[in-house]
Amino acid sequence: MNGGSENATPAQPDWEQWLKQHAPKFLLFARQQSRFEDDAQDLVQEAVVECWRRQANGAPPAAGLVFATIRRRAIDLGRSHDRRTGREALAAGEIPTDWFDSSVEDRERNRLMQHAISSLPDIYRDIITLKVWGELTFAEIGQALQIPANTAASRYRYGLAELRKLAGHIFP
Amino acid sequence: MSDNEQDKFQTELRRIKPAVPPETLTARLRTEKPPAKASWMEVSRSGTRPPQLLWWLRWLIPATAAVVVAAAIWRGGSPSTSRPPIPAASSEINAALDSPALRADDVQIGQELVSSFDAVARLPGGEPVRFQFQQWMDEVILSDTSQGLVVESRSPRFEVVPVGFETY
Repeated sequence: MNGGSENATPAQPDWEQWLKQHAPKFLLFARQQSRFEDDAQDLVQEAVVECWRRQANGAPPAAGLVFATIRRRAIDLGRSHDRRTGREALAAGEIPTDWFDSSVEDRERNRLMQHAISSLPDIYRDIITLKVWGELTFAEIGQALQIPANTAASRYRYGLAELRKLAGHIFP
Repeated sequence: MSDNEQDKFQTELRRIKPAVPPETLTARLRTEKPPAKASWMEVSRSGTRPPQLLWWLRWLIPATAAVVVAAAIWRGGSPSTSRPPIPAASSEINAALDSPALRADDVQIGQELVSSFDAVARLPGGEPVRFQFQQWMDEVILSDTSQGLVVESRSPRFEVVPVGFETY
């Protein structure tokens, strides 16, 4: 998972700095993988702690490993949830959480982008999120999603073109 | 979409920053920080182990074992050799126990996840089942600081955990 990218584990463990740098993108990915905000936060916490405890030298884990763990746990969580519960929650008017920073002047643009990304098929959305905001290489994305790196690269290209169409009114 | 357009669009997307996690999650993560573990590399560097000694130990341990086994066979197979009386043997054992070759005053046990991957298979009945594979490297380090000895043992371990698929 290290893959020689900018996500290689730092030599000096610094929990606070590492959290500040990576927690927003982990949560973004987890929110896309789960239906409920509480589940997304639990996914991040469990994945981070699980990956960190597996590190033999106590250094923070590679980001790709945490993304892969979030996805694996989200799949297990989705299976354990009753589908009816999800439909009822959606029917009850669940308020969507902002995926992107809403404190800046481009709040409306970010919400439109969230809507465009959530409209993408899962196979494109996951790869775009991991590449653009997770800053993983295609090799790392392939490992996280258990697909060949070339497949990740081609899906990214198709997904980006699809998102460009959906977000045409945001980025004319 | 050309490569140039793709790069430009990617740059535009990266300007949108993911939302900052709520303070409750950050606080939870802060409290979950695992305790720092000693790095295996640091342990190896901090040891007072001369490289030559380790090289000799590699030969000395099996050679000693071979000599002991040969001596035991020779003494047991020789009819003219009278066995020493039991009290004498006990004193030899006690003497050996009093001066062990290695008296470990520091023991480090660790495990490192080498790889992890999932695979999906089907049971004879057609039900899908997911297997989670994890390859671990177990390591034990014994240190005798009085003699400056460090003995390391590493062994791979493979775990396979079947995870059933729920059917709806």
